[in-house]
Amino acid sequence: MDLQTLILKLSEFWASKGCLLEQPYDIEMGAGTMHPATFLRVLGPEPWACAYVQPSRRPADGRYGANPFRLGKYFQYQVVVKPSPDNIQDVFVESLTAIGIDPKEHDLRFEEDNWESPTLGAWGVGWQVLLDGMEITQFTYFQQAGGIDLAPVTAEITYGLERLAMFLANEKSVFDITWAPGVTYGEARHQDEVEASTYHFQTADASLHQLLFERFEAEAARCLAAGLVLPAFDFTLKCSHAFNVLDARGAISATDRVGVIKRVRELACRCAEAYVASREALGYPLLPKGTEAGPEAEAPHG
Amino acid sequence: MAEFLLEILAEEIPAGVLPQAREELLKRVGEAFEEARIGGTLSVHSTSRRLILVGHDIAERQPDLEAESVGPSVAAAYGEDGAPTKAAEGFARGQGVAVTDLYVVTLPKGAYVAAKRTIPGRPAPEVIAELLPPIVTKMTFPRMMRWGDGKPLWVRPVHSVLALFDGMVVPFALFGVETGRTTFGHRTLSPGRIIVVGANDYFTKLRAANVEPDWSQRRWTLAEGAVRLAQEVGGEPTKDDALLDTLAHLVEAPGMVRGSFDEGYLELPEEILVTSMREHQKVLPVRRNGKLAPFFLAVADQIGDPRGLIVRGNEWVLNARFADARFFWDEDGKLRLEDRLSRLGSLGFQERLGDYLRKTGRIQELSERLAARLGRADLGPSVVKAARLLKTDLVTDMVREFADLQGVVGGLYARREGEPEEVWQALYDQYKPASADDTSPRGDVGAVVALADRLDTLTGLFGLGLVPTGSKDPYALRRAALGVVRIVLDRKWHMDVPVACSDALLLHGPLPRSRDEVVPELTAFLLERLRFVLSQRGFPQDTIQSVLTTDCHDFADAADRVEAVDAVRKKEDFVPIAIAFKRVANILSQAEETTAEPDPALMAEDAEQALAGDFLQAKGMLDELILGRNYVDALAIMASLGPSLDRFFTEVMVLTEDPAVRANRVALLKAMRDQFYRVARFSEIQG
Repeated sequence: MDLQTLILKLSEFWASKGCLLEQPYDIEMGAGTMHPATFLRVLGPEPWACAYVQPSRRPADGRYGANPFRLGKYFQYQVVVKPSPDNIQDVFVESLTAIGIDPKEHDLRFEEDNWESPTLGAWGVGWQVLLDGMEITQFTYFQQAGGIDLAPVTAEITYGLERLAMFLANEKSVFDITWAPGVTYGEARHQDEVEASTYHFQTADASLHQLLFERFEAEAARCLAAGLVLPAFDFTLKCSHAFNVLDARGAISATDRVGVIKRVRELACRCAEAYVASREALGYPLLPKGTEAGPEAEAPHG
Repeated sequence: MAEFLLEILAEEIPAGVLPQAREELLKRVGEAFEEARIGGTLSVHSTSRRLILVGHDIAERQPDLEAESVGPSVAAAYGEDGAPTKAAEGFARGQGVAVTDLYVVTLPKGAYVAAKRTIPGRPAPEVIAELLPPIVTKMTFPRMMRWGDGKPLWVRPVHSVLALFDGMVVPFALFGVETGRTTFGHRTLSPGRIIVVGANDYFTKLRAANVEPDWSQRRWTLAEGAVRLAQEVGGEPTKDDALLDTLAHLVEAPGMVRGSFDEGYLELPEEILVTSMREHQKVLPVRRNGKLAPFFLAVADQIGDPRGLIVRGNEWVLNARFADARFFWDEDGKLRLEDRLSRLGSLGFQERLGDYLRKTGRIQELSERLAARLGRADLGPSVVKAARLLKTDLVTDMVREFADLQGVVGGLYARREGEPEEVWQALYDQYKPASADDTSPRGDVGAVVALADRLDTLTGLFGLGLVPTGSKDPYALRRAALGVVRIVLDRKWHMDVPVACSDALLLHGPLPRSRDEVVPELTAFLLERLRFVLSQRGFPQDTIQSVLTTDCHDFADAADRVEAVDAVRKKEDFVPIAIAFKRVANILSQAEETTAEPDPALMAEDAEQALAGDFLQAKGMLDELILGRNYVDALAIMASLGPSLDRFFTEVMVLTEDPAVRANRVALLKAMRDQFYRVARFSEIQG
């Protein structure tokens, strides 16, 4: 199964289970969790179920396209469902069948792996899902985001698309997987990996990114003061990416790191609080008609 | 007598918490059943998704309970005519007995009326249905989670609860899940619903549904499978009980598969391959004649792998991991450790104690000083080299990926760079001993730098006032202190520990707390670890106490003395001297202190002169023996003074009227005590 068929099958599957098919966010981010469709939607009482691909940029993980397993940018397939349905694990297992994996023939295990993002003030409890010893998915019950305790709880399922595609095709290098008939992942993306690594490790102007960080941070604060939650969150994401670039460039000392992460976290927490207030002011548009906050909502699928 | 069966089926429970969860469930249900007078013999089982409790010989109902309640006083209960008052009638009504059934009890405060009534026992299922929900929902786990609407709080979401009392459902609910008589089989192999009538039926049906509920049975199956699969390729599995324990908690259907990897990877250091297999991939390495073979054994929650898919997957992952390791091994080799030193400047050690470059500088200076203090200035050049490179592996890709191999990686890289054995081993062993059963660094150079590293950390954090309290020890200072003690004892290094601490502290420059605060506190902290190590070595507490209550600046010497006291205390001539010495200590505690030397001219009694004579003779020998740390012989000499000391106490009155004579006798005993205290305080030794 090639990469794009894998994406299509997952989308088809989760759409059939009642998920809204979101689209990748158009701002650089380190993980699909930072997409407003996850980070902001997990907050508050409104039910939510969506699925999307998110290109995830991790400048420090780049290897100039020389390592067969490591990428500075890769694709996550993200599914979030709130409140977490009782049968979510079973539905996940069913999704494997949809991409051609018969769980009866494999070793499928859920091993404890709790997730935490200091930059987002977020953490969750869950597992890494191992298929024949390989981590194919991160499965998390979100407990806190932006410093806010979450109830109802969101189940988050993150498939690593490249790893899954490599595994399904038994490829030894990520660059050898087939993206679409006749085009490999390497043909489509190798240049990007080489140039992005060179840029992040050697060329990036640290003083520019330092300045960008400061200005984005100030702009996010200005937006918050003006009651503009979503623009404020966009600038928080830009701050986070500027930090990642500086980090890859080796421009942030270990001692400074903690302080810089804290600055991003403070913005993320303020965005989260402002978002909760804004949804309340809007009367929770996604709550089913006639329900109060904190519904015993039906699972949106299954 | 009845049987009870409980199964809580949840989403995968972390392997690490299962042993404790089982214990807690067993203990709390056991106590609750006892208290509720239904008793029973209980056992617990678990799988990755289930907690199971089975009870036999449980009472079908609680026995009736006779309860006595005390009411009003006799004076208030009966009028002058002897007729019951309103108070008595009210009490009887409240107790549900006739007023004529009241009787009189005599209590310390007077005579009162009382009523006896029978509280009828309730059926056990009714009692169990009340007892279990609070026990299960209040179980504690290191990390709890909420799910669904955010109300339930437990280790993982609960899916079904099976609760049967002699085949009948015990009705209650956990986290909104009602109990029933059904469960489910293996998640992928037999996911169907199973109807259960009792405990035996449950175990039979679960096994038929590919779930082995007994952890030790699963562990046995895995261990046996590992041996068999390794033998097929002429090898044996690496012995690893802890890993097998964990693996048995991770599955319901215990399966083992054997995979292989590219033989070329065997060129990589074994430490890296083993860590990759064991820590990252949780597979067992296979060995042939003790050496790694290109095979591994992986657990699978499966009954078979006819198409080889599981083997292929595991091989794919392990080869990928090894490829990564080789990439780091080669990449890191492009920059020498020495050239990484400057990068330590941007790696923070502790906010107020600076970065690792500064720590390296301090370790280097302290190592040189310690070597000099130990009279081993010859170690100087190697110690300086080892100290400089000590922390450089923290800025390698390998350690970033294999964090638990820090130190080892530095050692391997230093060896590759051609550093002499004592230097690369010093890097390799720097975190040893990692635990109580681990050995300390192999060489003197390694021991010096490991000591310096730990003393630097300890004095820095104590100097900031960041001293461990209770269970909070974020900088692992107890382990660091234990390392100091172990290294000093293992190498029998006679050094003055407070002086070494003082040396280390000064290198930090000004810190919030002064040397006079830090050094005594840290010395006491280290002495506690010394006590721990000695008691782990099997010495009795009172023997240890007898030595640690004397001057113990030299830990290795203190250990020698503990060993000597332990060797002689069982001998029969030692018991009287220990008893006599208690009398010495008692008398001295009643007498005024004196600094005078005993004066033979003031000794009137024979027994007094004899003791002084014997002691004088012994003292010369003792000085020599103690100087030569021959404590066993020194103690024998001390014991030989027993008879003359006994005679002294029998015949001589120490605290006599004449102040000069009394002071002289006190001076004699004090001289003896001070001499003995150079080895141990015998007064601490019990019987």
